Amino acid sequence: MAKVTLKIKRFDPQREPASWWSEHALEAEPTERVLDLLNRVKWEQDGTLSFRRSCGHGICGSDSMRIDGANRLACKTLVSELGSTITIEPLLGMRVQRDLIVDLEPFFAAYRTVKPYFISDAPPPPDGRERLQTPAQRLRFDDTTKCILCACCTASCPSFWASSEYIGPASIVQAHRFIFDSRDEGAGERLQVAGETMGVWRCHTAFNCTLACPRGINITQAIGEVKRALATGRVE
Amino acid sequence: MSPLRTVITGSVRYRGREGQLAFILHRLSGLGTLLFLALHILDTSTVYFFPALYKEALALYRHPLFMLGEIFLVAAVIYHGTNGLRIALFDLFPRLWRAEREKPSVYTTLAVTVVLWLPAAFIMGRSLIGHTFLGWE
Repeated sequence: MAKVTLKIKRFDPQREPASWWSEHALEAEPTERVLDLLNRVKWEQDGTLSFRRSCGHGICGSDSMRIDGANRLACKTLVSELGSTITIEPLLGMRVQRDLIVDLEPFFAAYRTVKPYFISDAPPPPDGRERLQTPAQRLRFDDTTKCILCACCTASCPSFWASSEYIGPASIVQAHRFIFDSRDEGAGERLQVAGETMGVWRCHTAFNCTLACPRGINITQAIGEVKRALATGRVE
Repeated sequence: MSPLRTVITGSVRYRGREGQLAFILHRLSGLGTLLFLALHILDTSTVYFFPALYKEALALYRHPLFMLGEIFLVAAVIYHGTNGLRIALFDLFPRLWRAEREKPSVYTTLAVTVVLWLPAAFIMGRSLIGHTFLGWE
């Protein structure tokens, strides 16, 4: 067991208009996760602390936050990876609703603009079952199927900090997932959205998104591939 | 939080790596160059509108602080161009855009910038010292 201090950025508009910091001393095992510590603070020290969490196993993407200056999932970050003082803040560039909870509605609105669903007018196969593709065709967009929409990437992007109108890396990852799917026929519509002023060309390759992604997606490469599809007019 | 405050907070406090540093330098060098160009267009326009003022503008360019600023301006222009080529090159070959490539590519860009800047800095630095301390005309 080691002594750990959690320093959490707090905000409660019903209590006071400005944000403040709360500090919580805890004894923690190195194998504990930041989410475990947040739960202990909420359950044992301050029940007013607010944060999102659901599955607790890196699948739902609810507990994304800035931990020691970088975006991560609290449920995938071990105490052993951090120092004795752990600073926790809400995601940047998004309106804070309370404590570590940010308004994700604009994030999902941007996500919806790339039409993140299967588009095809082709009739289903005669047997009424799967639309088949080769393993190589499936592999083409495998990386971008891993996205859990946690917003770690978008909130780490300097271009997004400067302009919240930018659709952001997460939306482009979702666009990539369908653009390069051999069964999908909506690439043109998605590329049109991605090619707009607030689309892929806002990416200036700071690389923060790829480093922040808790699923290890090569986001910058995916954005580069969408850029190239736009520049060449070919989806390869 | 306003976008400007978010950008400053993020740039200073977000723990990005070399890519974030390259991005911030790119923005600063771009804005610095733009500011100089705007000033330069303004002072050159005095040739036509206020000829008497133009001589004063030229004298201002000989001020040591301005000459020092010009040496850094050259660094900004070279960095902005070199980093722009790095980004364009990677955009042409998206498979290069991987985390392990970022660090060497940024350091290579900085090294190329310094190598290209040193000769200019030497010539301009010599002129700065000459005009400021040795009475060169």
